[in-house]
Amino acid sequence: MSTGPVSTDGCGAPAGGAQVSAAADAGSQAVVQGKVTRDGSAVPVGYARLLNSDGDFVAEVPLGEDGGFRFFAAPGSWTLRVLAPGNVRAERVVSADIGKVTELEVAV
Amino acid sequence: MSRSDVLVDADWVEAHGSDPGVVLVEVDEDTSAYDKGHIRNAVKIDWKADLQDPVRRDFVDQAGFEALLSDRGIANDDTVILYGGNNNWFAAYAYWYFKLYGHDKVKLLDGGRKKWELESRELVTDVPRREKTSYHAGEQDKAIRAFRDEVVASIGHKNLVDVRSPDEFAGRLLAPAHLPQEQAQRGGHIPTAKNVPWSKAADEDGTFKSDEALRALYGDEAGLDFGRDTIAYCRIGERSAHTWFVLHELLGQPNVKNYDGSWTEYGSLVGVPIEVGDGK
Repeated sequence: MSTGPVSTDGCGAPAGGAQVSAAADAGSQAVVQGKVTRDGSAVPVGYARLLNSDGDFVAEVPLGEDGGFRFFAAPGSWTLRVLAPGNVRAERVVSADIGKVTELEVAV
Repeated sequence: MSRSDVLVDADWVEAHGSDPGVVLVEVDEDTSAYDKGHIRNAVKIDWKADLQDPVRRDFVDQAGFEALLSDRGIANDDTVILYGGNNNWFAAYAYWYFKLYGHDKVKLLDGGRKKWELESRELVTDVPRREKTSYHAGEQDKAIRAFRDEVVASIGHKNLVDVRSPDEFAGRLLAPAHLPQEQAQRGGHIPTAKNVPWSKAADEDGTFKSDEALRALYGDEAGLDFGRDTIAYCRIGERSAHTWFVLHELLGQPNVKNYDGSWTEYGSLVGVPIEVGDGK
């Protein structure tokens, strides 16, 4: 299965951050991915956190150089929270489905 | 033991990171983070390439650890300050590992790389040159490392703390949600384990919560019996090293082990009991 640049042998961050430009093959995965921008430009330093419907933390990735992030979630409703320097915080509610890549752009 | 014995903050690192006898070490799974920018004078350790045996599933042995630290220019009496990405998962793992091989003067940078980056502190690409040393490692301290037979025998007797996310604990996911869910082993958790996700011990900026909050989290909320021995596990043992740090180093619990085989081992064993479903 092609899953982009994410390492599969550990619990760690994707190698070099998720690059949204790399095509994700959802297959049997429920993929939530996107890009963080400010004034139309990528935000390369920051973090994307995935919270479950109870608001509990589930996963976090550093943003890629293109502002990208990607999660392989379980199906359901999630909250995506972005943290960036300068006390920047932004949130989006997103739903994930098996076999689907859910794309979102977060402007901060 | 107090927090200042095991943690430093970013201001301390800015003031003392270049002092003689202090060595900053960035520990990551994704070492491209170090290559793009790291704290001035920090050397890097690659969680996988440097700390894991290249063939067997195990750590580098005593001689391998000696060679690694000698190569990085770390001496036995140096104070090692560890930090890294992923809320210090791999730095906490390395901390546990340094303790395992008997290096006592080791601390974590509270908040790790994330807090440092979010505060827009300086990151550089210069790689420091350090003279090689002749590091001597101790025998592995098995008092802080659990193996599978002990884990199976601990069911119903010791505190078992599963520090993965609730979906992994329940068996709905086999890996954290930022990794592909493509493993073949069974999902679920070790019977009698309490689910206390590692993330509950940390604030959003990656720093550890207060001792009072941590004690309430594991005691009142999760129902851990602080009078019993404890084994923490996750998927591959690095998130549980974070929780081991909390229980053993911050809260001073005497008998806490990290089960580094964790779910990738336990969930593949033939014949052992497994529970599925949410925590109670």
